[in-house]
Amino acid sequence: MKNDKVVAMLLAGGQGSRLKLLTKNIAKPAVPFGGKYRIIDFPLSNATNSEISDIGILTQYKPLELNSHIGIGGTWDFDRNTGGLRILPPFTSEDGGRWYTGTANAIYENIDFIESLAPKYVLVLSGDHIYKMDYNLLIKSHREKSSDVTIAVMEVPWEEASRFGIVNVDKDLKIYEFDEKPENPKNNMASMGIYVFTWEKLKYYLNKDAKDKNSKHDFGMNVLPLMLKEGLNMHVYIFKGYWKDVGTVDSYWEANMDLLRKDNPLNLYDKDWRIYTKNRNLPPQLIKKNSIVKNSMINEGCIIEGEVYNSIIFSGVHIGKNSKVSNSVILSNSCIDSDVTINKCVVLENVIVHSGVNVGSTTSDDILIIDKDLKI
Amino acid sequence: MERCLGIINYSNIDKNFGVLCKPRSSYMLPFGGRYRIVDFALSNMVNHNIRTVALYTGKKFRSAMDHIGNGKPWELNRRINGLFIFPPQFDDEIGALEDIYQYHKTEDFFLRAKEDNIYIINPNIIGKYDLNTAFKYFKDSEADITLIYKNTPCTTGINIGCLNLNFDSKGNFKNIGLYLGTNREFNMFLETGFIKKEVFLDLVRRTMETGEDLDLRQAILRFKNLYKINVCEYKGHVENIRNLKSYYDANMRLLDDEIFNKLFFEGGPIYTKSKDEPPTLYGNMSKVDNSLIANGCIIEGKVENSIIFRGVKIAKHAVVKNSIIMQKSEIGEDSVLVDTILDKEVIIKEGVNLIGSKSSPYVVEKHAIEVREWN
Repeated sequence: MKNDKVVAMLLAGGQGSRLKLLTKNIAKPAVPFGGKYRIIDFPLSNATNSEISDIGILTQYKPLELNSHIGIGGTWDFDRNTGGLRILPPFTSEDGGRWYTGTANAIYENIDFIESLAPKYVLVLSGDHIYKMDYNLLIKSHREKSSDVTIAVMEVPWEEASRFGIVNVDKDLKIYEFDEKPENPKNNMASMGIYVFTWEKLKYYLNKDAKDKNSKHDFGMNVLPLMLKEGLNMHVYIFKGYWKDVGTVDSYWEANMDLLRKDNPLNLYDKDWRIYTKNRNLPPQLIKKNSIVKNSMINEGCIIEGEVYNSIIFSGVHIGKNSKVSNSVILSNSCIDSDVTINKCVVLENVIVHSGVNVGSTTSDDILIIDKDLKI
Repeated sequence: MERCLGIINYSNIDKNFGVLCKPRSSYMLPFGGRYRIVDFALSNMVNHNIRTVALYTGKKFRSAMDHIGNGKPWELNRRINGLFIFPPQFDDEIGALEDIYQYHKTEDFFLRAKEDNIYIINPNIIGKYDLNTAFKYFKDSEADITLIYKNTPCTTGINIGCLNLNFDSKGNFKNIGLYLGTNREFNMFLETGFIKKEVFLDLVRRTMETGEDLDLRQAILRFKNLYKINVCEYKGHVENIRNLKSYYDANMRLLDDEIFNKLFFEGGPIYTKSKDEPPTLYGNMSKVDNSLIANGCIIEGKVENSIIFRGVKIAKHAVVKNSIIMQKSEIGEDSVLVDTILDKEVIIKEGVNLIGSKSSPYVVEKHAIEVREWN
């Protein structure tokens, strides 16, 4: 049988500093999203649904919650007899310990792990993107084109193309140039940070890159341009659908609000492509008398007595009488007392908003984050 | 708590639930938006550290096999002990369907188990029993059998036909009879309790030897003079689900905050098989009042005083009132459902009106499709 084994390497060490208080105690992939999930559930569930059976998760920044969320990966059926999920933190060895210094370096440090699985292809994923993708199609395209590298791209609106890393291709989708945040884009295909490599090739270039003292050991900045320069066969795979890298508080809020749009392209209700997450064993939500719930998403264990408009409510949230929550994201186990008005806020976990508080403005576009001390 | 075996005893009352029990046993009836009735018995046992559980399934056990499987949601998929499922054996020996016969056939399991005591529960009577206290009473009083009951007021006659514990003048256990409404209160036998393993095995053998077709309760009464039997009162909330009406009422009572908290939060969580459903989406036109709604639903219509299970779709302008809508059912535009129970995966097309009553809810069978009939 032909060896076409795939190992996925999921980069989950990102800090996501622009998410401010949301990532005060957790890594960006562990940030809660969509009423129930954490961001990393999306790539993990994609991998499960794509029937990938080996996955390494590279952690670094504040991994505690991430580790306890992932566990041995049973939620995603990665608790297997052979293969399955491994968490790969930075480690020490006889020549000292090192932090992962870049995306490529994180993979380089784990060459032994990948070698032990002897794959044909390595799929590099990012733990902080929200999207649904069948990786089989990406790998199929890689195989059909006999590529050394395939980069998943998506077509972004032309006017926004200069904010992205643009990939220029010929008519056969073969890459001839990378254009990082171009002023005058020649193309609108933006790299999604999802790559398939033929392992032999990747291994060679990771070793080569590691010897380069000037390199930042980053895929986008160093390794991929080096591969292109040396004439590897590189293609793009065009992904159609929803994809979001929630970099800032504003885009985090927007991505949550996207779920409430009528034309929301990220269908969480699709039974053929479920997103899995840790089960909290909570009862259904209790919507009390005289409450109003409009255009909102509410998770298990909530008790709603007030009014909820255009909001995402995570599990175990209580919203008291005469309180009004609009255009907001309320994370797990928070309690909104009675007579509270909240607009355009992200309320963090386990926060109590006391009676009579009025936060968030109806006129400004700023999104407020509310944490335990009502710091904003 | 000293280790104790758990037995979930199938009770043969499926005929009281009409078409709802056509595909399943009564202990597998969906309950409270995302649970099955048996989840309460299983969860309460594991929450009290009972690590070996035997489930006697009764004849219709496919739904139980699918739901309970290896017991993972209750963490009963253990290397040591865990869950044992005993479907019935159909032999031509006598008494083939009574529970005593099934216990006799599985005697090996009891002999092999290291536990010296047994906790038995009828899963159709839901309660968050404090097993630590009851077990301590059982041990301290050195009883062979401790029966658990609840002193229950009854003014409406709703409990007529329930089992009643009779005491002698000293307040000791005397007998088990039927409550027929003579008094305004009675001691409802919750069909749960503790029994010493040796006593249990002795009882099973004696019953088999007499050759009479007895169930466990009848056997205890027949041989009651041989054992020391006492009683223990449970004061918490109980739902005795023994027919369609009590099933409907028990679901509806979950809309009461206090009962909701008692059943779902106090004394540990209730575990069930996870369906990985996303949160529920409420549309712009939705109007939801006093309802219990599970995940994965898309609600655009009006819902009032109802229990909505996972993955239900309610279209705009539809009205659902005082109803129980089970998993994955779909309700079309302009339909009206009042006092209705929809079993799983029922499809109600546009403009259908289904009206039952609180004493006798309208029930739609699993997988049925209801269309509007034009005159």
